[in-house]
Amino acid sequence: MKTLRNALIALVLIGLVMPVFAGGQSESNAAAQGGGDVTEITFGSWRVDDVDQMNRLIAAFNEEYPNIAVVFDPTTPPDYNATLRLQLESGIAPDVFYARSYATGQELFSEGYMLDLSDEAYVSERYDDGARAPWQMPDGTQFAMPLVAVSHGVYYNQDLFDELGLDIPQTWDELMNVAQQIKDAGYIPFANGLADEWDIAEVVWMNIAPGFLGGRKARLAYEAGERPFNDDAMVSVFEAMASLTPYLPDGYQAINYNDSKALFLLGEAAMWFDGSWTISEFEASNPDFNWSVFAPPAPTADAQAITFHPDAGVAINPASDNIEAAKTFVEWLSGPTASQILGNELAGFFPMVADAPTLTNEHANDFLALNNGRDLDVRFPWPKLMNGDPSGYTLIQQGSINVITGNITPQEAADQMEAGLSQWYEPAM
Amino acid sequence: MAAVQVRGRRIGSHIILSVWSILVLIPLWIMVINSFKSKLAIYRSPFGLPDQWTLDGYLSVFSRSSFPRYFFNSIAITTISIAGIIILASLAAYAIARWKSRVSTAVFLFFLAGMMIPIRIGSINLLMILRNLGLLDQLIGLLPIYIAMGMPIGVFVLTEFMRTVPPELTQSAYIDGAGDFRIFWQIVLPLTRPAMATVAIFNLVVLWNDLWFPLIFIRSESQRTLMLGVTRLFGQYQTDWTLILSTLTVATVPIVLLYVLMAKQFIAGLTAGAVKG
Amino acid sequence: MTARSFRLPRIPVWIWYMLPGLLVYTAFMAVPLFKSLQLSLYTGSGFQIDTFVGFDNYRRLLTEGEVSQRFWGAFGHTWVFFAVHMIVQNSLGLLFALLLSSEAIKGRALYRTIIFIPATLAIVVTGFLWKLLLNPQWGAVNLMLEAVGLGAFAQPWLGIEGVSLVVISLVSSWQWVGIPTMIFLSALQAISGDLFEAADIDGASSWTTFSRIKLPLIWPMMGVVAILTFTNNFNAFDVVFAMAGANGPPNYSSDILGTYFYRVGIAGEHPVGIPDMGLGAAVASIIFVVLFVGVLVMRTVFQSDGTDD
Repeated sequence: MKTLRNALIALVLIGLVMPVFAGGQSESNAAAQGGGDVTEITFGSWRVDDVDQMNRLIAAFNEEYPNIAVVFDPTTPPDYNATLRLQLESGIAPDVFYARSYATGQELFSEGYMLDLSDEAYVSERYDDGARAPWQMPDGTQFAMPLVAVSHGVYYNQDLFDELGLDIPQTWDELMNVAQQIKDAGYIPFANGLADEWDIAEVVWMNIAPGFLGGRKARLAYEAGERPFNDDAMVSVFEAMASLTPYLPDGYQAINYNDSKALFLLGEAAMWFDGSWTISEFEASNPDFNWSVFAPPAPTADAQAITFHPDAGVAINPASDNIEAAKTFVEWLSGPTASQILGNELAGFFPMVADAPTLTNEHANDFLALNNGRDLDVRFPWPKLMNGDPSGYTLIQQGSINVITGNITPQEAADQMEAGLSQWYEPAM
Repeated sequence: MAAVQVRGRRIGSHIILSVWSILVLIPLWIMVINSFKSKLAIYRSPFGLPDQWTLDGYLSVFSRSSFPRYFFNSIAITTISIAGIIILASLAAYAIARWKSRVSTAVFLFFLAGMMIPIRIGSINLLMILRNLGLLDQLIGLLPIYIAMGMPIGVFVLTEFMRTVPPELTQSAYIDGAGDFRIFWQIVLPLTRPAMATVAIFNLVVLWNDLWFPLIFIRSESQRTLMLGVTRLFGQYQTDWTLILSTLTVATVPIVLLYVLMAKQFIAGLTAGAVKG
Repeated sequence: MTARSFRLPRIPVWIWYMLPGLLVYTAFMAVPLFKSLQLSLYTGSGFQIDTFVGFDNYRRLLTEGEVSQRFWGAFGHTWVFFAVHMIVQNSLGLLFALLLSSEAIKGRALYRTIIFIPATLAIVVTGFLWKLLLNPQWGAVNLMLEAVGLGAFAQPWLGIEGVSLVVISLVSSWQWVGIPTMIFLSALQAISGDLFEAADIDGASSWTTFSRIKLPLIWPMMGVVAILTFTNNFNAFDVVFAMAGANGPPNYSSDILGTYFYRVGIAGEHPVGIPDMGLGAAVASIIFVVLFVGVLVMRTVFQSDGTDD
């Protein structure tokens, strides 16, 4: 009996150790290629889902530059900022890394963790002023090269829309009407939920807000202190948020982003507010699923606006041992070959170069088509409202959650925004 | 009359205990059984056996280049830390048990204080210390912290145990001319093996399952522990329940199996922190 | 110099046995703890915490707008978290121990093994697993309620303010109930059988046996369990982090001191992610003081009552 038990324990221990030996093989394949003197640089990113695509991009780079090996080393999005900061502060950061736009990026640059790219000709030649702005300091210093933007919209299940004979809604009232019909037919109108919190802010509120507020011009007016953050337009965004409540899934309070994806993919929910970055995941997990995307409805059809957000720039670590190789890689990323691969491999991430490549991915083109004839703007709080406590982001997030659950009224949510921002944001004081 | 009452009470006890046992086992059953279902089947029928058994989850757990690495890292850091704790704690415990003085009592109490106060509170300074030592984002940086974390319980259990070693044993060795260290090494240590097992198991569970320190100190893929890997997999952009449940199962099964096989030592180990009245 | 080299051999030999462990423990536990207290008086950005601000961090935590609202919220929730463990986990533990200590129950070893299994799981694993089970759309909990005709009670458990924190505490109690069970069980088994026999002959009811004999004898163990529960809960983080996230949603209602400390002092608020380490250190120092005072108070309570009888 005792020997049997000991044998079992030994077996478990062996089982514990086995994977270790199995693991040895997968290590170094990046440096294996190209003989000779190979410089290795690491490329940090928050796109953990893009490893295969990035490796194809890097392979194309290596056809031209066989002597620079690039290792793609991504971290999950919620951890990226903290991770990068820690790595930079302790001197173990990647040589080239994805840079967040606006405040988060500016903060890192002013602490000396990004190389000044103002004098790199390819940055100013290949990108418009508008594209460069999100990665500039207030004085115009360029701390990162623009790479890709993401778009936002409303995903919808085409088969279900056909089956129920629904038209694409243009105004918010039409959207509510469509939602009611979907609900009556026994489906969930919107797959969104509140559990993860970030998505209700970033893909719902910030998705619909430009249409209600008046697009980019309106944002600039809020930022300049010309409009209070609790004016009627702001209240109407929160009213729209509150009007979603009856059309969210049962138990929406505890539905997280992944649940939303599954509800939509399984055909249980007909619509879903989200961003373009989910395209490739949907195509991979269910290629037969027939879906498309429409522009977020606004109070009137001609007020529709699209949140086309500068998502990722590329920065160079000034502490890198291989700055030249890093610069070569970054310059190559701005070129036509890279843009072509980026746009098509990373469907849903749109290269920001001035002469953008034509895309072959159908869904990506669906998203791009939404831009035609509509005002474009970035996510509302990103440019100016992030860098204080409470941040515009937190106020939007908590306000949205609280109006959806009915804890506070839309007016109260807007008032809280005004009160919160006026604590630290000077133009609002 | 009384016999009926006793039997009734006994049945009552069985009902309560089996209901709880079911409450313990069902979640684990669901975890294991669903890890063998396909991605979408989990949503459609979360209970019951899979219509079609699949090993996809497990295959992707192990084919993901980094997962075996997490396993290796967890095993390495846990084993080395436990070894460190046992060596340093038994040395200190020997000193405390063998040489009674005010100072050694004070040191003993100093160690005991650590049992009440969680080391997490000092995390910000640990972050700075590791940064200055250049050990941030390195698995090895966890080692001194884990050893420090295990010292209180190790010193406590081993000291109490060494005090029960009959003085005649060491005295006769002393008379035979054996040095302190030889007495420690050849007589005291072999006698304390059961206590060491207790310390080892207590720390095994704590360290194997620790998320906090890897979460704040470790960033790179190659340095991650299993629990950090599990947490990252659960990250916001994942929908693959099969993979996640397989991961949870893989992370859980080794310890639970060891526990079922060595229940007595585990219980002794995990309740060790509380033995002192 | 010479004086010191003369004195060297006089250092008692046991110091050398103690020293390595003592050094590691001091450098990586005691010093960081006390430095945290010091750091709480400073402010700065990133790792550059060098501006002395006196008790300003404490003032902000205790009185200033948003910050203090979050802090007091987390502080209160931690007590709720602790209370649920005291009431549910420890009562169940006592109940199980009483049942298991009866010689007459068959299969005691099996029950004991099963009750203790969750304690060997990682807290994150428990948290993630229960999060899946509590999912409002596909989770087993709601499906089971529906299956037994209690569908009306199905709830988005982790999405309702007030409910979420209690549910998380219950999950955590599910995990740890084995510990008090084993502690009480070992105390009960140490009670001499003669006492019960004597009581049986006297015809004492089971309640009398419990309250007159067992309870006083296991009272000191209750102190141990209470202190253990207290220190573990004021230090908790993983279970909330795994089940609800670092923000303690919904609306910060399941935010406890552990998650608040993580957000403020270590990770920074999403999406900017810049920690305020001085403020974080102040949170840590308050946890430290609460633990210290709490443990002292509990020790006196349980010790004095134990010796009264």
